[in-house]
Amino acid sequence: MLNTPAPYILLGLILYFLTYWFYARWVDKKIWESDPNRPTPAKLYFDGVEYFPVSKYVLFGYQFKSVAALGPIVGPLTAVLFFGWVPALIWVILGNMFIGWVQDYSSMMLSLRNEGRSMGPITYKLLGDRVRKILLIYLIFYLIIITAVFEWVIIDVLNRVPGTFTAVLFVFLGGITFGTLIFRMRMDALLATLVALAIVFVGYFTVALVPAVRVPGTNFLDSPDFFKAHNFNPALTWPGTLTVAFWLVVLSILYYIAAVTPMPKFLLPTVYVGYLPSIIALVLVLIAAIFTPLTGLTIQQTPVKALYVDPLQNPQGGPLWPILFVTIACGAISGWHSLVSSGLTPKQLEYETDALPVGGGSMMTEGAVALSSIAAIMVLSQPPAGAAAYVQGATLLTSKLLNVPDVYMNILYGIFVVVMGLITSMLFVRVFRLIMAELFEESPLGNKYISPLLILAIAGFLAFVGSWTNLWIFFGGTNQLLAGLALLLIAVYLASVKKPTAYVFVPGIFMAITTLAALAWETYVYGLYAYLGKPIGVQAAAAVLYGKGIVTISNLISAAFGALLLVLGAITTYYLITGWIKYKRGEAVKK
Amino acid sequence: MKIFDKLREVIEGLTVHGQSTAILRVKAQIDNLFMLITLGDMLGVPILPPYYSLRLMPYVFPNIQNWKRYMLRERDVTDLVS
Repeated sequence: MLNTPAPYILLGLILYFLTYWFYARWVDKKIWESDPNRPTPAKLYFDGVEYFPVSKYVLFGYQFKSVAALGPIVGPLTAVLFFGWVPALIWVILGNMFIGWVQDYSSMMLSLRNEGRSMGPITYKLLGDRVRKILLIYLIFYLIIITAVFEWVIIDVLNRVPGTFTAVLFVFLGGITFGTLIFRMRMDALLATLVALAIVFVGYFTVALVPAVRVPGTNFLDSPDFFKAHNFNPALTWPGTLTVAFWLVVLSILYYIAAVTPMPKFLLPTVYVGYLPSIIALVLVLIAAIFTPLTGLTIQQTPVKALYVDPLQNPQGGPLWPILFVTIACGAISGWHSLVSSGLTPKQLEYETDALPVGGGSMMTEGAVALSSIAAIMVLSQPPAGAAAYVQGATLLTSKLLNVPDVYMNILYGIFVVVMGLITSMLFVRVFRLIMAELFEESPLGNKYISPLLILAIAGFLAFVGSWTNLWIFFGGTNQLLAGLALLLIAVYLASVKKPTAYVFVPGIFMAITTLAALAWETYVYGLYAYLGKPIGVQAAAAVLYGKGIVTISNLISAAFGALLLVLGAITTYYLITGWIKYKRGEAVKK
Repeated sequence: MKIFDKLREVIEGLTVHGQSTAILRVKAQIDNLFMLITLGDMLGVPILPPYYSLRLMPYVFPNIQNWKRYMLRERDVTDLVS
């Protein structure tokens, strides 16, 4: 039994439940003193557009959809490959128990108690305009990095799981059909859903049953001789290859359309149709992880690997602290969640007491997704690097459980990863465009058609030439730093209303120090390799094709971004801590 | 609420809720156009109210307070994230 993933996954789930039942509810009652009789912004500022009360079950689903992306899937598997499954498991469990739900829930309560306002206005109110401006600049660069990372993950799966693209095309077709049926032809929603789902099923079974449809194949635009000549594994995805360029162009077109067309026409019906099979995939892999003693799958991965790796020998990874804590991003805690938790959801909470199940509950559910991702990688003996390893692991778990041929689950999880990735990354490009429009109103940078091109160009370049794992750690660093800043902001607010802050201040300091260290480390690694003119890991392919110069430029840009975000993050941390001290002392904060 | 209803609502949140709020926002923008032209004067927008605004008042009256609050509410860039 102990050599299967099941007991560890169950342990994690039980600990999450206990944390929720005792610790989380204590915080809700004693520190925030949530009162179901106090009117929420949904009732006080009702406008029928954004502020209106919504059932907590609907909000739970909406919150989970907004926060769950590729983070809990790719992060844990990368960490298991770097450090072994024991450290990864411990961080996913303990991180979620003491830091993850704390951030999501507290950001939601922070917004709830401040008339449903989001992070920007609250930062302004507590600490003044300067800190708010720094936060917004930080957000712009954060969005560029996260887009690059997601592009790479999606390209990796599209390349290594042939047939995914065809199946996802059918999902898009289903989405567009649904939109047209609902809006143009005014069809009944249930009937339109069934039509759209039928299209998705046709696509799914065609791809699973007809091998000829599984095009394009892996690395289809590059000749096998190229890989053989330089000793590159032809089953993996390599930066700089024509295949990667092809997929990058396809993705960029998709993102551009999603960023400039109105949401209900294209983006949202696709999200709707794409999420229905994704829910099935998510639930299946968790059940399969728990039933591993019955299916006979055992742990194949090493429990603990090296706790430190010299960057000159292997640039991917690094010391256990701080790299583990930023490799597993959304599975344990994620800064993006604080933006979402203070976004639409608090404007629609019907009762104050709903914030805990919606905010805290959805974060713990995401922790469960991270646990299932760890289980998926645990059962693989020789997982290939990259996100496609998750598809492989999940396929193994579920096909053994359901006793079906591999190909069915392979396509399902390929669709799952690509759809989950596309849903959130299309949103990133859109949000970038909206933020640029706000900040650069008159200039061309703020133009609706130009700013998406800007982010697609920069993120595309970083994804095209970049070393994927280092980019992921970079993304983790920026994401978690945002989380640390959010936690400290919540501590500042609690100090301003004379409530105890330890439960959020201590995790905030821990996250801030860890992520600043991680960003510094990654900037150092990028800078070192740029200075030495060496390609990092898989960048070797790009170096071979286009010369070392382009690789050095990419690493220099990454190092520059890293240094900038490090400086911005350090300044913001400083202001947050001084603000906290001042509010604790009861002094007025100069804004 | 029965378990099935709760599950249905969770799935509704996962799939449809984002869509319906986006559509509500688009609808609000279209409604705003009409309200601004007829009642923009209430917000200080220098549009001379036509005679017909008065005749429309009884129909829009229940929503005026909410509409004013919606138009004048503080907004920031981080509101656009979700």
